[in-house]
Amino acid sequence: MRAVTQVVSQLSRVPGVVAAMVVGAADGLIVETSAMMGATEGPDTRKHTAALAAYLYSKVTRASSAARLGKPSFMRLEAEQGQICVVGARDVVLVTIVSPDANLGRVRLDMMTAAKGE
Amino acid sequence: MANPTVAEAWVEAPLKKLMEDAGLISGVLLYPTGRAVGQFGFSNAADVMSICALTSAINASARELGRQLDGKPFYELHHAGAERQVFMARATAGGQEFLFVGVFDAESSLGMVEIYFAEFQKALEKLRPEAPQTRILKPGDFEGELNRSLDALFGPIGKR
Repeated sequence: MRAVTQVVSQLSRVPGVVAAMVVGAADGLIVETSAMMGATEGPDTRKHTAALAAYLYSKVTRASSAARLGKPSFMRLEAEQGQICVVGARDVVLVTIVSPDANLGRVRLDMMTAAKGE
Repeated sequence: MANPTVAEAWVEAPLKKLMEDAGLISGVLLYPTGRAVGQFGFSNAADVMSICALTSAINASARELGRQLDGKPFYELHHAGAERQVFMARATAGGQEFLFVGVFDAESSLGMVEIYFAEFQKALEKLRPEAPQTRILKPGDFEGELNRSLDALFGPIGKR
């Protein structure tokens, strides 16, 4: 994967992405993060989102494996006011917080491309 | 998992929530002197006694190391083993300091434990009793204090 700073910078410029983060897959700690665009942010918003998204992705990986589907390629959590997208990339996961009106196809493509290191 | 056993009732609910939310396998809340306040995941008083003594000593060493290296004491300590990880941190409630040590595995993560420990810290501050629960300790009575707290957690020796 390219330099994490570059990945975060590129993902955060995709229309509709409120925040982009690279998070440790095992520890759920932030490796690199962008600012949260146009959102009111509590002191620990990104830290909490990062830890919970990485945790959720690890559980989804187990569910996918239990169902004999292999590794999940893309995880999307749809909520009332937006979405959280997660893609695994070896020891880290890419996490984006996305607004409801975002171009999800572009977000997905860019995240998967970044995870593959292309 | 069994509910926490506590020497002070007000810490039971926050300790149980921390255990469940953070996915901890075991944990002990204690005073920096080594006196146990609550625990979960242990059935043996001797294990808790060792953990209290070691945590108290590690806290004192880490605090001094922090002072020497950074000019201020460290607040958290994390050790990742091959299968299990140890998280140790300080919490305060109304000026009273506590130490917490918890063990978790790959079912949880350091990030998760940090999140829920921050909530635990807030709950301690909110629920702390107005009147102090601790008696004035006699200097050098570490063993006596430790045994009294273990009696509260596991019952008196002979009935454990």
